[in-house]
Amino acid sequence: MESMEVDESAAQLYVRTPEDVKAIVKHAKLDERQLTQLTQALYFPSADVDSDNLRLLELDGHMLGQIRDGQTLYFKGGQNEKLVLCTDERTYDVKGAEISNSLLLVPDLKFAAATSTSPLKSPRTGNANASLERSLNDSTEDELEVPRTLEQRPVLKVFHEYFECREIKPRFRKLGELLQLTRYSGPENEFCVEQKLLFTFSQLLDTVQCSRGQFMEGLNQYRAIELDGRMRVMEYEYEYRIINMMLGLISENSWALDEVEREETINALKGIAPEDVVAGLFDIYTIPSERCPGKFEYQESLVSRIVAQNILQPGLRFRNEEFMRTWQEVLPEGMSCDLKYLRGLGICDKEGAQPCIRSLAEELLPTNISDRMRALFKTKKRWTMEEMEPYIECFTTPNLSVSTLLAKHARSLTDGGVRYFVSKH
Amino acid sequence: MPIVVKTQNAGKGDWAIIELQGDLEVRSNQDMHGQFIGDLYYNKYGQPILIIGHHILQGREQKLDKPFAVLEKSKTNEGERLLETSMASQDVSMLNATTGAERTVLDHTIAQEHKSRQRTEYTVRAVCTKKLIFKSRPKPIIANVAKSV
Repeated sequence: MESMEVDESAAQLYVRTPEDVKAIVKHAKLDERQLTQLTQALYFPSADVDSDNLRLLELDGHMLGQIRDGQTLYFKGGQNEKLVLCTDERTYDVKGAEISNSLLLVPDLKFAAATSTSPLKSPRTGNANASLERSLNDSTEDELEVPRTLEQRPVLKVFHEYFECREIKPRFRKLGELLQLTRYSGPENEFCVEQKLLFTFSQLLDTVQCSRGQFMEGLNQYRAIELDGRMRVMEYEYEYRIINMMLGLISENSWALDEVEREETINALKGIAPEDVVAGLFDIYTIPSERCPGKFEYQESLVSRIVAQNILQPGLRFRNEEFMRTWQEVLPEGMSCDLKYLRGLGICDKEGAQPCIRSLAEELLPTNISDRMRALFKTKKRWTMEEMEPYIECFTTPNLSVSTLLAKHARSLTDGGVRYFVSKH
Repeated sequence: MPIVVKTQNAGKGDWAIIELQGDLEVRSNQDMHGQFIGDLYYNKYGQPILIIGHHILQGREQKLDKPFAVLEKSKTNEGERLLETSMASQDVSMLNATTGAERTVLDHTIAQEHKSRQRTEYTVRAVCTKKLIFKSRPKPIIANVAKSV
């Protein structure tokens, strides 16, 4: 043991030697024949190694795959936002986690298999054979003994914290809010728009807390268009007016619903609306026709929705049948309205004397779940899960479902075989 | 601006983590930098054995359910591009243009993000997929009597 003492007067640090290793094996009464050949001597981080810059980040399978593929990841977050980490496709909440154990990070440490000159043994089975096997093995080892080797292994850093990640839904709200600040309502109104609040695609991507793939989905969800290099959304009355004119061309040209022509549509509105607005809206609202190559058809869901939004002014309520009739009359012939297209836009309220439709825009509700729940139950006392889902799904995560949220923030009851959720208080 | 995490060459080098209960300490009045910690052995069955001072610990080699990436932080001073300069002046005007609380929050966020000159970056230096965990109580080696046949 004396040889292990560090001489305090010496500037040099103690370095392990093969003799030291042999001595400690003996002191510990280890059977050297039962050990693999390599010993690795561990050391505290050196004074001249700067490891303050190192962080541990816990990975899931997707993140590990992205790293192996060499994909870039991004930490995102403004001053008033919690940190997120984005891959190409997913977004993660990032938190610091603490652990009372010490995590020693050792580059180049060899694991068991790499320290042995022969394959590792399987765990012993059966007592009867063990003795014989041991004798044979011992005998073999005696004859073929390989000298012990020693390698020095500095620890790079000792950790007690790491970053922990949990997949979350993308946070689009900021995107919607930024785009709404400069919503487009025609070239004649552009003087009202604060030019310095116009952002390019990449500026928005940098600031919105989601992956690139999710960001593209978000732009699509908000029906954003690039105008003069800036991302814009339409003011909805303006959007409705343009779409209405575009839809009018269907009957004017006697097109079937799946025979819509892109160039004809753009040309017909020349002089009425900017070409890139018409082209942008066309590309959003249509999909290629299956029956007629090179032609298009309008998506019923999007058309129905903007028509409904126009009818359903905030605060107004309509008797159910009156609303449905009005809605159907405004739609192009051959398109059908359906309550599912009101998702996140309006609700059917059956609690009064007559069922009625009323406006309830998801994006105008409070952004924390308790306040939102309160607002929802104030609007209507009883909700089915299907009715509530569009209004609280933005709070879900891959591990936290709508039904879990409802179990936590609402009370359920069953009436006439139907399950309803009501306020907890 | 988002902070970039670069992952090129991350596939090279699987580093190891050794997990110990509690903390490692050195004798008082000594700087721990570079000091010897202990010897690591494996028995023929692949079980790790760690001797620290006069303590011996039996451990286990274990695959990490959630691997760790080792991130190294660095700061780079990017050369100012023309666009960057124009963005900077635009940001200043933006701050002056704010009206209303919500805009202030958003504008401030945008302005702060674009004003940043020093860019922080992380690089994935390695990925750890396995660890040695020593969770049993250490035993003094004097009492570790070898099994007799």
